[in-house]
Amino acid sequence: MKVQIELFGASRDFSNQNSLHLDLDQNSTIKDVRKKLIDYLDNNFNGNENYKKIVKSSVFCSEDNNIVSDNYKITKNEKIAIIPPIGGG
Amino acid sequence: MLHTKIIDTKDSKLSIQKAENFISSQDYGASIFFTGTVRNQNNDQIVTGITYDSHDELVIKSFEEIYDEANQKLNIKDKSVFIEHAKGYLTLGETSIVIAVACKHRDEAYILSRYIIEEIKKRSPIWKKEHYNNKESAWLKGNPILHEKN
Repeated sequence: MKVQIELFGASRDFSNQNSLHLDLDQNSTIKDVRKKLIDYLDNNFNGNENYKKIVKSSVFCSEDNNIVSDNYKITKNEKIAIIPPIGGG
Repeated sequence: MLHTKIIDTKDSKLSIQKAENFISSQDYGASIFFTGTVRNQNNDQIVTGITYDSHDELVIKSFEEIYDEANQKLNIKDKSVFIEHAKGYLTLGETSIVIAVACKHRDEAYILSRYIIEEIKKRSPIWKKEHYNNKESAWLKGNPILHEKN
């Protein structure tokens, strides 16, 4: 299934678009999204360690605007946001 | 009473006057205004501006949660709160955040104002990209949002 990952903060450097589109198996979880993103960074940014650290230290947000755990099951065509470490004000 | 908004810097600027208009009331004897502005240096680098990024829906949700928590955690029930945060590019001296609070007494106004900005720093999904005088730029590292991993 196709899942759209909206990029925010430091993760915007992963693409010149506002989001990435990942191809995931049915019943995939956020844990699988992390793995896919790491694969994407390996393939497109030569495994950039700083970018990988961003993925590892991020949380993810569901389409209904809740921060979700790594066990959260993604539904078909769901839009997920990556939330890197924050610092506004 | 609560007002929250993300202001796109392409459309408008943050305004203390707007905050004052919102919280002004004869019910309250104490008002505190907090503003955050872009300063010209950070970590030994000369800063020329900051681009703010925001997950708008989550940010507004976090502002509402922080406001509601003031009832339970701080026992400050009677209050007026105005929170706006900028999104987009700001140059030196421009305002990135306005927090205005009005309460019956000064003690609770000071406590509430401080509580709101500290909680925003901890949990509102807002990011800063600093721009430097050598034309380079960098996202600030920030703090991870804590979430129990099941």
